Amino acid sequence: MDAVVEELGRLDPPPAKLEKVRVVVGVFRQIVPDYLTFAYETLSKGTPAEGSVLDVVQAPAKGKCGDCDWEGDLPIGSYACGGCASVNLEITGGTDLYLESLEVEDGNTQR
Amino acid sequence: MATRSVKVFRGLKGENDKWAAETRAFLKEKKVIMINMIGSPGCGKTSLLEAVAARTQGKLSFAVLEGDLETTRDAERMAAVQVKANQLLTGGGCHLEARLVHHGLKDLEPDGLDFVFVENVGNLVCPVQFDIGEAAKIGFLSVTEGEDKPLKYPFLFREAKVAILTKVDLLPHLDFDVEACVEFIKRINPKIGIFRLSSKTGEGMDNFMDWLFKHKK
Repeated sequence: MDAVVEELGRLDPPPAKLEKVRVVVGVFRQIVPDYLTFAYETLSKGTPAEGSVLDVVQAPAKGKCGDCDWEGDLPIGSYACGGCASVNLEITGGTDLYLESLEVEDGNTQR
Repeated sequence: MATRSVKVFRGLKGENDKWAAETRAFLKEKKVIMINMIGSPGCGKTSLLEAVAARTQGKLSFAVLEGDLETTRDAERMAAVQVKANQLLTGGGCHLEARLVHHGLKDLEPDGLDFVFVENVGNLVCPVQFDIGEAAKIGFLSVTEGEDKPLKYPFLFREAKVAILTKVDLLPHLDFDVEACVEFIKRINPKIGIFRLSSKTGEGMDNFMDWLFKHKK
């Protein structure tokens, strides 16, 4: 919440309204999108972010095989290479946790 | 009125990780290894620490940070076996956070110790996501919990350096498939070390003590 309010405060010119906040959350983070959006609704009240919607984008689990050339998405619960089924994998995606963007509505600047 | 999207790309790890980094720096300066013990309530974390305390042979020194919602019972168990311990109480929180651990650790004054063991709140889920500045996580699973738990709670076993299967003295009374459990754990994390032991009978404790003796600085 602090990050959202801080970033909103940095925008120049200041927007009229914050519409949507997009966060990217990797599947390995054990963060349930519904819980986060529910918490966001409560926490944004009384802040400049009140009324905005939280859009949670889940970043998929990705792996790179240490035994063959395979690199790609890992289905849920699988830690095996999609190419050779080896478990010698480096996790290359799915641990993300960041604020990606703010969607704002600019004020009417016509005088 | 125009709507536009402003790219931000700001990491959200926040306060917890700042405190974890401070703890890591503190531990590095003091040359102490901190281990984060994670497992369900009642899986045998405190009992293992009691068993370790009985087997240090004067060659290994450690202190403990006990994490619970309420009571100082676990810290009292440590005091009863002459282990210095601080009790960290969350009052309702389901996991220890880095700030509380940091203050508890500093208060312990761990100078000269080989290890500090943090016994996290009994919980296979939440503690995994809260870095407390540890050198390694140990994942606990008792044989009364079912051999498929690693598959159902993969995040812990993925993050942990070591898995400990506890209460093996109860195996004759259970249908627990040890080899299947080991296979499930290795499926999640092929590099993890696995110990099978009983704090009550001492079975398997020698191997775990050897691991501790080997890893102390």
